[in-house]
Amino acid sequence: MSASTDIAKNPAVLAMPSPGLPKFDYVRARAPGEVSALLAEHGDRARLFMGGTDLFVQMRDGVIAPKIVIDLKTMPGMTDIAFDARSGLRIGAAASMNAIAAHPAVKDHYPLLVEAIETVAAYPLRTRATMGGNLCNGSPAADTAPAALVLEAQCVVMGSEGEWTIPANEFFLHVRKTAMRPGEFLTRIDIPIPPEGWAGRYVKLGRNAGGDLAIVGAAVMGYPDKSAGSGYRFRIALASVAPTPIRVPAAEVLLAAQPISEGLLDEAAQLAEAAAKPIDDLRGTARYRKAMVRNLTRRALDDVWQQLQKER
Amino acid sequence: MTVHEITFTLNGMAQSGMVQSHTTLLTFLREGLGLTGTKNGCATGECGACVVLMNGEPVNSCLVLAVEIDGAEIVTVEGLAQDGQLEPLQQAFIDHTGTQCGYCTPGVLISARALLNRNPSPSEDEIKDALRGNLCRCTGYKRIIEAVKMAAEKEG
Amino acid sequence: MTTKESSGPVGTNVKRIDAQEKVTGEALFADDLQFGPGLLFGRIVRSPHPHALIKRIDTSKAEAYPGVKAVVTGDDTPKQIGLYLKDRHIFCRDRVRYVGDPVAGVIAISEEIAEEATRLVEVEYEVLEAVLDPRRGMEADAPLIHPDLADYVVPDFIFPKAGTNIPNHFKIRKGDVESAWAQCDAIVEHEFKVPHVQHVPIETHIAIAKVDQRGQITLWTSSQSPFAQRNLIAESLGLSQSQVRVISPYVGGGFGCKAGVTMEALAVVMAQKVPGHPVKLRLTREEEFFTTFVRQGLIAKTKIGATNDGKIVAMRTEYYWDAGAYTEYGVNITRATGYSSTGPYEIPNVQADSYCVYTNHPVGGAFRGFGMPEIHWGIEQIIDLLAEEIGMDKAEFRLKNCIREGSVIATGSKMHPVGLAECIEKAAAAIDWGKDDPPSALHKKRGKGMAIMWKAPAMPPNAGSSAWVRFNEDATVTVGIGGQEIGQGTFTVMAQMAAETLGVPMEWIRVQGPIDTRYSPYEWQTVASRLTWSMGNAVVAAAADARRQVLELVAEHWDEDIENLDIRNGEVISYQSEETLPLKNMVVYGLPKPEDQGWRGGPIIGHGNFMPSYVTGLDPETGQGPRSVVHYTTGCQAVDLEVDTITGQITILRLAAAFDVGKAINPDQVRAQMEGGAVQGASVALFEGLRLEGGKLMNHSFVDYRIATAVDMPFEIIPIIVEVPQDDGPWGARGIGEHSMVPTAPAIANAVANATGVRILDLPITAEKVYLLLENRLQAGS
Repeated sequence: MSASTDIAKNPAVLAMPSPGLPKFDYVRARAPGEVSALLAEHGDRARLFMGGTDLFVQMRDGVIAPKIVIDLKTMPGMTDIAFDARSGLRIGAAASMNAIAAHPAVKDHYPLLVEAIETVAAYPLRTRATMGGNLCNGSPAADTAPAALVLEAQCVVMGSEGEWTIPANEFFLHVRKTAMRPGEFLTRIDIPIPPEGWAGRYVKLGRNAGGDLAIVGAAVMGYPDKSAGSGYRFRIALASVAPTPIRVPAAEVLLAAQPISEGLLDEAAQLAEAAAKPIDDLRGTARYRKAMVRNLTRRALDDVWQQLQKER
Repeated sequence: MTVHEITFTLNGMAQSGMVQSHTTLLTFLREGLGLTGTKNGCATGECGACVVLMNGEPVNSCLVLAVEIDGAEIVTVEGLAQDGQLEPLQQAFIDHTGTQCGYCTPGVLISARALLNRNPSPSEDEIKDALRGNLCRCTGYKRIIEAVKMAAEKEG
Repeated sequence: MTTKESSGPVGTNVKRIDAQEKVTGEALFADDLQFGPGLLFGRIVRSPHPHALIKRIDTSKAEAYPGVKAVVTGDDTPKQIGLYLKDRHIFCRDRVRYVGDPVAGVIAISEEIAEEATRLVEVEYEVLEAVLDPRRGMEADAPLIHPDLADYVVPDFIFPKAGTNIPNHFKIRKGDVESAWAQCDAIVEHEFKVPHVQHVPIETHIAIAKVDQRGQITLWTSSQSPFAQRNLIAESLGLSQSQVRVISPYVGGGFGCKAGVTMEALAVVMAQKVPGHPVKLRLTREEEFFTTFVRQGLIAKTKIGATNDGKIVAMRTEYYWDAGAYTEYGVNITRATGYSSTGPYEIPNVQADSYCVYTNHPVGGAFRGFGMPEIHWGIEQIIDLLAEEIGMDKAEFRLKNCIREGSVIATGSKMHPVGLAECIEKAAAAIDWGKDDPPSALHKKRGKGMAIMWKAPAMPPNAGSSAWVRFNEDATVTVGIGGQEIGQGTFTVMAQMAAETLGVPMEWIRVQGPIDTRYSPYEWQTVASRLTWSMGNAVVAAAADARRQVLELVAEHWDEDIENLDIRNGEVISYQSEETLPLKNMVVYGLPKPEDQGWRGGPIIGHGNFMPSYVTGLDPETGQGPRSVVHYTTGCQAVDLEVDTITGQITILRLAAAFDVGKAINPDQVRAQMEGGAVQGASVALFEGLRLEGGKLMNHSFVDYRIATAVDMPFEIIPIIVEVPQDDGPWGARGIGEHSMVPTAPAIANAVANATGVRILDLPITAEKVYLLLENRLQAGS
């Protein structure tokens, strides 16, 4: 490989993405052990890939320059989607977003997930893009992350000592950093059966109507629960307004404690706004984002609350 | 750098070839096979000019590695017409001015073909949504959407 | 040419003749051409600084890199280049002037190797203070971006100011503005801003150049200006025009960005280093954003006054154009917007100062509308504000003041017949102007707004067109033109005009492509919405010439008066004898004389040309002159929209577009232009703008430079054709390509103001801006 990092950083030259992908070796993974061995051998010089929709863009940009790219979707089970009425949904990490959204059980039991997926980019990209990749990137703007958070998904991770599970709300550590350790990779996303009578909504705001990265994304799910003071519990998660996708426990506690009213929903939305720590970027200012967290959370809460009342 | 032998079906014909690991499907089609109907517009999966069908589903060929099509069926814009007969979408794009400069057209046609395959009678909103990953700077989309509607009616 | 009645394809909705190729993938674009294994690839080393002196370039490491064939620098380009003002070296020599300025070019056996080797070129810079705002650039102590401005070659209608950053200052002085303010009952003054905007063709710029052993150059490129490129590149390289050949297949979107010389000359200079080898240079999407021509930024200051009965009395305007590092078209945009600064209104007292100012920003070029969308952004909002001030309906106010036949415009010229008032009335009616329609939800606000426009082709007074029309043995016809098919449908429209004039079926016409400066007839450029009118006139003349030759031949053959003959549906007919004779064979082989006495006729080829002869200069101090332009196309857009007060998002419900096209040669294609322009206009209005920080572009990909997608388009677009014929247009036609996006942004801004009471003075009208202004107002009110 010729273009080493020191020449790539030549300050005399305006750095721009290259016309094509830099050179690398492609390896089709067959078994987890093989992947672990390759990662152990090559360390940072190896990258895992499933859909490639983010990886290849970063490679063109010169952000990363792996020498080996390991295709995980060729391993058994990696693209499987299975549903069981007791244990819930199991999504292979390399299952494409379109395959998930088109799966009858997902449509029936997890419409919130379908709604979130359909806000991502555009249909052809989602033929390749995976939910696993979307979570593993650790982008604060990942659209499936708020859904994973409020559905309390479990991330099943393969490491050198075998599989272990990370709850979604412990998965995201920082921008582009997850709880997976070096040498580990995501094999599955398990989503439990949601509580009886639940309703959900994902509201996303982009700069234009179609397929933009989120300025703000807000997922809300709610369900009846006699043990709660209000008779309901809600879960709220946000994208693009903090270094990671976040839950908003303060608002969730409030909505469980007191009888639901317009005023209480307003208050919950304000707590979501308070929890958001957005930045200014090309998509929007922090000030606008804060206001949008409040307004979109409020809109999602309203929609969910109306659905819950209809089902009563 | 590794070179891979692949076999695949391209526009209905079985084919094989040698590709490097980092060669994208787009580059392989255009420069390896000389099939230039599929266009390069951004290389980041954002513009849709390079969309082809892979196993019946539309993909941005700039973000697919050529090595990944081993065993797959690929259809490009050149494969839409059969035996000299334009397919209904192509005819509708002619009849309804669905094309101006024509650079986005191959990708738009493939995205539309994929839509009609999975949903033979889409609503206007469904058509717009299926095409939101295909940028067009000339037409304003109106006639593209109308042409897809016309083709759907004809096929239906 | 005269206006005449049509009985054939002119005026009908003929299908595009290029559509079949385009839906099958067979249509060839420049990157699709095959050059074989001898093809080399070029990549460019570009400046990371907005303004710096080049102290040293070391290309030795790049040259030694395996696979590299040669490296070029400014040393290889001694002479300057430029369409109006020759202010640029093809590769920078001593100074870089924007982030992305080309410093060196690497030629290698693959694109990858060329790219890798660009990173081995060492350049030592002395960084200079950058000019990042046009008003700063005009200050006396601003760093000079072009210290040698006074020495640059320039045509006589452009006025650079030596020792400044101002390559052109255009003035209008009509009436007496200062004393006219006293007659006004209402005066409004505002400053409006427009950011730089990218054209975003889906096909990025591409050029392949080859130099033969004699030094003759062939350039294959996606181009709106093959002849201008031939001319400028030849001149800059010290060659004559015929030593350069430009071949241009279909263009995958132009909108002005592929006019003039952008990056094509880079490929030519690289090819000169490796004679015999074609060298391909194709820009990545990111390079397209960083380095190709942009729509200039603008700061517009306008003051306008009217009497209580609604007559506009005076208008004073200052335009500060952020021209960027060089000014391929900027100097002439400055001029065109200066003489059009009143918008389509008759105003007795006018003062305008339009300044083109060099900055260390991307290079300003032509963009659909050539400055008109930018200036109408302010004009059409301040007209709304003035109407509000005197309490008059905004449509009525426009009708009261808009130009009509005989109006005296800003340059003192008299307006030709014009259907603008009809456009206003029809567009307004199409969206139920004046009717308060309810919004679709409680949190939404609905409003209506309109904007009107004018635009003339802005070009040298002698921009010419030519055409030939050649019969084939089977009586099909090949039409040769030098104007380019960039999506606007010009090949189809030219075929219609040729078929109609000749009297043959539409299907018999072929339009010769690609455009090839060696074989195609001369055409100035595919810009300014001028082809239907100018090239159309040339095609009609060529077809009429061929037709005359056919009829003369048959008249002699039949011994009839030529006045009794006609060509209809591909046959010559005599209205006297009712005899017919098919064109087939006879148009090439001629006709036998009686009794085996030889033959008459011969292969028929007609030719024609057109060049306006009546455009005069303007006084450099007052901008006054008898006829500043060939004609103005005018029109109106009216918008009905909703604003979501929860997010600030705008949804366009209805957009009516009415334009006076003189005569719609192909009404369906005219409507397609109106639709496409409206959506491009709405996209620019709502989403677009370069984000430049310290001269560096931040949003250089589709991820961060959003353009409208299928889900962003208005729910309903209503195109309306108005036809008040142009005296010298074919069948009365004038252009429509650019005009369709000129009034969109201010029409939307006016509708947003109508819906919400907040007014955006700086483009784009983002949801965020609308929302925060609404919130500010709410907070101020509470």
